[in-house]
Amino acid sequence: MRYLQELAQSSHLILSFARRDLRAKYKQTFFGVAWAVLQPTALMVVFTLVFSVFAKIESEGAPYPVFAYSALIFWTFFAACLSQGTSAMTANASLVRKIWFPRETLLLAVIISATLDLCVASLVLAGLYVYYGVPLHATVVWVPVLLLLQITFTLAVILVTSAVQVRFRDIGHAMPLLVQLWMFASPVAYPLESVPERLRTIYLLNPMAGLIDSYRRVLLHGTLPDFGYLAVAASVSLVLVCLAYLLFKRAERTFADVI
Amino acid sequence: MADSAIRFENVSKQYRLHSGWFTSIREEAARLAMRALGRKVEVDVFWALKDVTFEIAHGETVGLIGSNGAGKSTILKILSRVTVPTTGSFTTDGRVGALIEVGAGMHPDLTGRENVFLNGAIMGMGRREIARKFDQIVAFSEVEKFIDTPLKFYSSGMMVRLGFAVAAHIDPEILLVDEVLAVGDTAFQAKCLNKIAEMKEHDRTIVLVSHTMPSILQHSSKVLWVDHGTIKRYGDPDETVEAYLRHVKQQGETQVAEPSPAHDSPIRITALSLLDESGAKRDTVVYGKPAHIELSYLCTATVTDPVFSVTFHDIRGQPIGGLTSRFDGVRLDGSERSGSVRLVLDPVLFTRGSYSVTAAIYDQRIQRSYDVRARALNFMTDGPSVASREISGHFVLPHRWEVVAERVVEP
Repeated sequence: MRYLQELAQSSHLILSFARRDLRAKYKQTFFGVAWAVLQPTALMVVFTLVFSVFAKIESEGAPYPVFAYSALIFWTFFAACLSQGTSAMTANASLVRKIWFPRETLLLAVIISATLDLCVASLVLAGLYVYYGVPLHATVVWVPVLLLLQITFTLAVILVTSAVQVRFRDIGHAMPLLVQLWMFASPVAYPLESVPERLRTIYLLNPMAGLIDSYRRVLLHGTLPDFGYLAVAASVSLVLVCLAYLLFKRAERTFADVI
Repeated sequence: MADSAIRFENVSKQYRLHSGWFTSIREEAARLAMRALGRKVEVDVFWALKDVTFEIAHGETVGLIGSNGAGKSTILKILSRVTVPTTGSFTTDGRVGALIEVGAGMHPDLTGRENVFLNGAIMGMGRREIARKFDQIVAFSEVEKFIDTPLKFYSSGMMVRLGFAVAAHIDPEILLVDEVLAVGDTAFQAKCLNKIAEMKEHDRTIVLVSHTMPSILQHSSKVLWVDHGTIKRYGDPDETVEAYLRHVKQQGETQVAEPSPAHDSPIRITALSLLDESGAKRDTVVYGKPAHIELSYLCTATVTDPVFSVTFHDIRGQPIGGLTSRFDGVRLDGSERSGSVRLVLDPVLFTRGSYSVTAAIYDQRIQRSYDVRARALNFMTDGPSVASREISGHFVLPHRWEVVAERVVEP
């Protein structure tokens, strides 16, 4: 409880860190904020070539670029949070060593700055909708709910990985590989339907698989997400984030000694 | 007790050596596996603090002294919540702020203004609070002209001043100060000390860490001396500092420098001692009384006009004055096999404190040293204390004050 009280008093600090991260990221770059768009777009182009043009994967009736991009922006968001979140403590090691502040503010700042990147990247999605004449469904209002769920899950993950990273730098090295493997274990480049029926239960144990599929449903098909699945995912994520937070706060006390 | 601002109860802090940068999952796994097999695992530990108990009352300024590695920084780290005690408990009553060099929170791509807001936020200030104090902070830092310039174009001095200025305006109830005097130029240091004095006037509780005894004595109402993780003494500033200095001096004697004169050196120093006017060996001299420093030497070949030199160092090892025999026109032809020279201080003008002496023998043009004994002799001076605030520094120079003219200024 005391943790949350201190965290509530740190809202200004979270925004300051987020602003710093964004400013630092795009200062002295030629493309600036366009980088937020370039990454998912480049992946979309590659995926379109490889999976649609060469491998001829079906894309649930939607044009493949829209199909891929609608998942890629959320995946890029997840990947950015994961890699920056994991190294958030060690990247600010000199600060952590000298001054006390609720350390999770660094993680929340990572999420905020990545969310802004996501907003910029979604402008391109709007452009693709117009270009391909894809209809926008009313179900799009579910996106913020899904995003909130995704953020909860992401936070749970990086609370743990960032704390582990303080002691064992190994996890930082493993992260890029892990992110890549995780993407192929999620229906980003291919539809959920192409996963064999009998494997699907195991497949959906990956929360990102269900989330990505839900995004597609509300964005492309105008169908509602599977609420039963979402309810389970939401409660599991909530429990996870609470446990992860307690673990993080315990580990946090000796960050300065070992970082 | 409601009247104590800081309270440490049986606080111990253990650090594991070899952890941190060098630990990997592999090492840790190996350690766990060994433990699972029932074998004792040797982990190198280091107790930075051992069962430390003390209390600081509201409005007190406590000087924290001790040699490097004694545990001063660990106490500050625990107070500022950067780390937690391994065992024991501590309480603080009021917002704690640290006046430390915080370049860590600075980002080179952000402007000075943005950095003030970022740093203020890191130190726990709200946006409005920073906005309110912004002009004061900038004025304190003396970087007004560059406040909208990215920090990477700042000189290192400007950066330090800006970081310090933010820290100086947190306005906490408990202020931790770590070696202010090491930051910035003299004028800026004076400004920082004035800030501390101002905080004292506002009845803030201050913990001051410094290696500079005069500034400890000048500001502290009590002094806490830590040594090897335990409290050696806590109380009256003058007595505690003096006990500490005597302790440091003794430590110094046990490790008298055994230097290596060039092996073909034709002349070397064999003894160095401090004598009073009657010729008796002393380790303490008295201000205003004469004292002699005697340097004995041994010649193995003929040396033409060797020059003897004695340099005095303060407690921190900084040279504060040196004298050579050539300057005083003393010459030796070096034909004697052995002998001694004597430097007569009449009177001793050192203020109260601990000093050390480096003795050396040079060739006639002071180009080449035959033998150097760095800080080979330590001594204390009894006399006027800098703590009296009527004097400062290491010497009382021969002087007098005169009133030149008194004028009534017309309004």
